[in-house]
Amino acid sequence: MENIETKLREEAQRLLLEKKVDVIIGYEEGTLPLTATPCFITTSQDADKLVWNNLCTQNLAKFVHDLISQHKNSQKRVKPEDRKKKVVGVVARGCTTRSIIIHLQERQYDRDEVYIIGVPCTGYLDRKELNQAIKGAEILEGAIDAGQVQIKTTDGDKSIALQDVLADSCLFCRFNNPIISDTMVGSPAPAMNPDHEYDDVSEFEKKSIEDRWVYFTKEMGKCMRCNACRQACPSCYCPTCFVEQSQPQWVGIGEDKTDTQVFQLMRLYHMVGRCVDCGSCVAVCPMGVDLRKFLKKIDKDCWELFGNRAGSSMEDQPPLSKCNENDKEDFIFNP
Amino acid sequence: MAENLASKDWEPKIVAIVCNWCTYAGADLAGISRIQYPPNVRIIRVPCTGRINPFYIVKALQGGADGVLVSGCHPGECHYLTGNLVARRKFAALKSFLSYIGLEGDRTMFTWVSASEGDRFAQVIKGVTAKVKALGPANKLMKKLG
Repeated sequence: MENIETKLREEAQRLLLEKKVDVIIGYEEGTLPLTATPCFITTSQDADKLVWNNLCTQNLAKFVHDLISQHKNSQKRVKPEDRKKKVVGVVARGCTTRSIIIHLQERQYDRDEVYIIGVPCTGYLDRKELNQAIKGAEILEGAIDAGQVQIKTTDGDKSIALQDVLADSCLFCRFNNPIISDTMVGSPAPAMNPDHEYDDVSEFEKKSIEDRWVYFTKEMGKCMRCNACRQACPSCYCPTCFVEQSQPQWVGIGEDKTDTQVFQLMRLYHMVGRCVDCGSCVAVCPMGVDLRKFLKKIDKDCWELFGNRAGSSMEDQPPLSKCNENDKEDFIFNP
Repeated sequence: MAENLASKDWEPKIVAIVCNWCTYAGADLAGISRIQYPPNVRIIRVPCTGRINPFYIVKALQGGADGVLVSGCHPGECHYLTGNLVARRKFAALKSFLSYIGLEGDRTMFTWVSASEGDRFAQVIKGVTAKVKALGPANKLMKKLG
């Protein structure tokens, strides 16, 4: 890890000195123990702030899109011949590159506007699982060392295996190494356990329809519509989200429970062929809604119906914007 | 829909979102041929099934529909070449997802009816109405007013 970190810093320094990129989006140490937070680096002196470890949670593709679209908006009033392109560098693991591929497929920006510094990923620590493992004690200090999380808490010192507190999406990750990159830092990470990625979904599918509805309403009942999942999701980039649209008003703004269900249902549905299972929405959810159970189903359907894994290759088209004569149609009603 | 639950002669409300170029004309044909079909459907005409935002279906269910029927041209016969094929993909994902979260699959129906199939249109409406009737009034995802 240390090795990757130093290489990453050197690479970032070089890119900024050679002016190949205008800004690098990466992770820096967080203000709380055992956290890392996204950061924007514009000078080569700051490159030493960059870190890369199992605490880097958020999918940075979100910020790539934000920065580039902001810059494009600011260039709107500039004469076309004077417009400048900005190159955004990004520290990207597997899921981040998948999100970037989705942006590229959806023509959000050009490939030369983003410089991808690929890093191998061994998963990130799930804060909620960690809190459960230490029974909600306050973390005073912590470090990750040889697959063990060493924590000093208000309840005394603890040591937990990293494997036990990794996020679910990381445990079953299929693409933990970058799919596309301009430079790679470090050697590819060992594969995770993708063969069992749909186990959770298949188990849920076997439950009765009433049980499934009860679970859905229970989970959505927790949601307080803070929209954190949408803000964190790299695939949610519409300038005006359907949630805020007032003509037509797709979802009511009151506290009616069906409005919350419809909001979540439609946000989940918008992820067909676009969810890369980065787990950012789950990580930011303050109420602990089990979004992954539903997102993974969408991923599974997309694979089974259309043979598409979101953002897994540059050649793919978004599955819902193309069609095939031989698509499955066993759901069509024939009287 | 609580009042409906109580009444014995409850009739389902079904929203049919149909394509202008085929099913709508098929419904017309059923009409002028005086083919009888249940009066439970409210028809909404759209230019193409590909124009249907899946939100329409979810909103209809939230707004009080007991069932939603979407009907368009048979594959390969779309007025806009591939509108219905793109729609088929959207609906395949939507239908599967709705039943995954626990909504009965028979509440959202998709079918193809061409302009010359007035008889098939009547059959479809009969079939859908019977299926929704068997399920009873919708109570999931439905916004209760007041």
